Amino acid sequence: MSLTPNGAPVVEAADIEHIDGLYSYALVLTRNRSEAEDLVQDTYVRAIGAMGRLRPDSNVKSWLFTILRNTWFNQLRQRRTAKLVALDGEEGAMDVAETSKDPYAFYVSKTEHEQVREAIQQLPVDFREIILLREFEELSYQEIATILDCPAGTVMSRLARARAKLRTLLSAALTTSDFVRKEAME
Amino acid sequence: MNACEEHNVQLYLDNELRGQELEDFRAHLSGCVACREQLEEQQEFSDLLHRSRPLYTAPHELRTRVMAAQHVSVSDQTPDPLPKRVLRLMKQPLWNTKFAVYPWRALAAIALVFVLGMMFIPTIASNARAATYIDTALTTHRSYLDGRLPLEIESDSPEAVTAWFAGKVPFDFRLPSSQVLPNDQPAYRQVGARLVNYKGSYAALITYAMKNERISLLVASNKSATASGGEEIRSGALTFHYHTEAGFNVITWSTHGLTYAQVSSVHTSAHQSCLVCHQNMADSRKFQEHQ
Repeated sequence: MSLTPNGAPVVEAADIEHIDGLYSYALVLTRNRSEAEDLVQDTYVRAIGAMGRLRPDSNVKSWLFTILRNTWFNQLRQRRTAKLVALDGEEGAMDVAETSKDPYAFYVSKTEHEQVREAIQQLPVDFREIILLREFEELSYQEIATILDCPAGTVMSRLARARAKLRTLLSAALTTSDFVRKEAME
Repeated sequence: MNACEEHNVQLYLDNELRGQELEDFRAHLSGCVACREQLEEQQEFSDLLHRSRPLYTAPHELRTRVMAAQHVSVSDQTPDPLPKRVLRLMKQPLWNTKFAVYPWRALAAIALVFVLGMMFIPTIASNARAATYIDTALTTHRSYLDGRLPLEIESDSPEAVTAWFAGKVPFDFRLPSSQVLPNDQPAYRQVGARLVNYKGSYAALITYAMKNERISLLVASNKSATASGGEEIRSGALTFHYHTEAGFNVITWSTHGLTYAQVSSVHTSAHQSCLVCHQNMADSRKFQEHQ
């Protein structure tokens, strides 16, 4: 998105370039495809409505991620007030992970990409989002701090803990997967 | 700085070291096997994650929805409100003009604009809101005809559509009562509905088919949308505002806290347009009386 000289927002093809990142962030927060889609659409609607207040030198990408996060947590607050969901919002229905009762089939069929997704979705929400913002969206500590509304030092320490936890989860999954593949070949 | 601290490897990998700190760590790295191994291990882990980019890909339908939302939203950007525009004018430098020589003239001009503005602002604002709503209804209708606004629910049941909008729009959604012809057939057939964006929030779009005609109905809260101007036709307690814009007929009206805008390309006058649905019906006399 950009502004014309008279301040009117102009939609460019590049605007949609953040949609995968926003959708991933929405899925990481909501763990529900339908809610994630609605959240991304809400984000764009709000962004367009607020374009007039955006300075020309603003970081549009960070701004979009901030809107998405604020929108989601506002929705969660409203739901909590209405007592529609459990107090811990992250424990909502998780429909993004595929599960199988047969661990053999489960691991053989998993690609590396799927294993990464599943491992990330097993993390607590504050770890999930910080991994996505740094490793997948390559935002700086300061940009992440702005989105999460916390000090940059908190970003650094939380990121370290999130990576450590994710590494443990992934190494277990990948080791099991390798073992199952080797077993299958023998 | 103790260069061998673990977090320095993380900061280095994340491009967060700058200037002297970066130089110092690079120098340290060349001579520290432990840090190099740690860097290699963390780099390998990052590479594994990076190979999975993007984590998820937005579905095609979501892209379409977002593009359609942007298309509609861009069209309904309202110009700055009058007070804001007056303030902007006042901020512009006057001092390189003749007003610089006679500052009292500038103040008198501003006072005159202000007084005139205060006299006409309510009407201007109301007409501007009505015009914006009509523009949005037209843009939405064109987008629908062009296939850029796919319906999110397809149903000929008013109850199903009403239930679908519940909780999705920030107002108490109500469909106008459907008109029925003497043979008990509805004058038009409801096709479906979807959400559209209007002034940073949602409005409801409902589409109908009548013979070969496609008709759309935009519904928004009367807090953000106004029906005014155009040719007025009264029916009972309702006042319909008939507009012809860019080859389309737009009829707007407000009731029960909602403002409706119906768009069609029926090429008739205002009265005839109403009678398309209301012909041979009990209330048709109300419309004919105005002819």
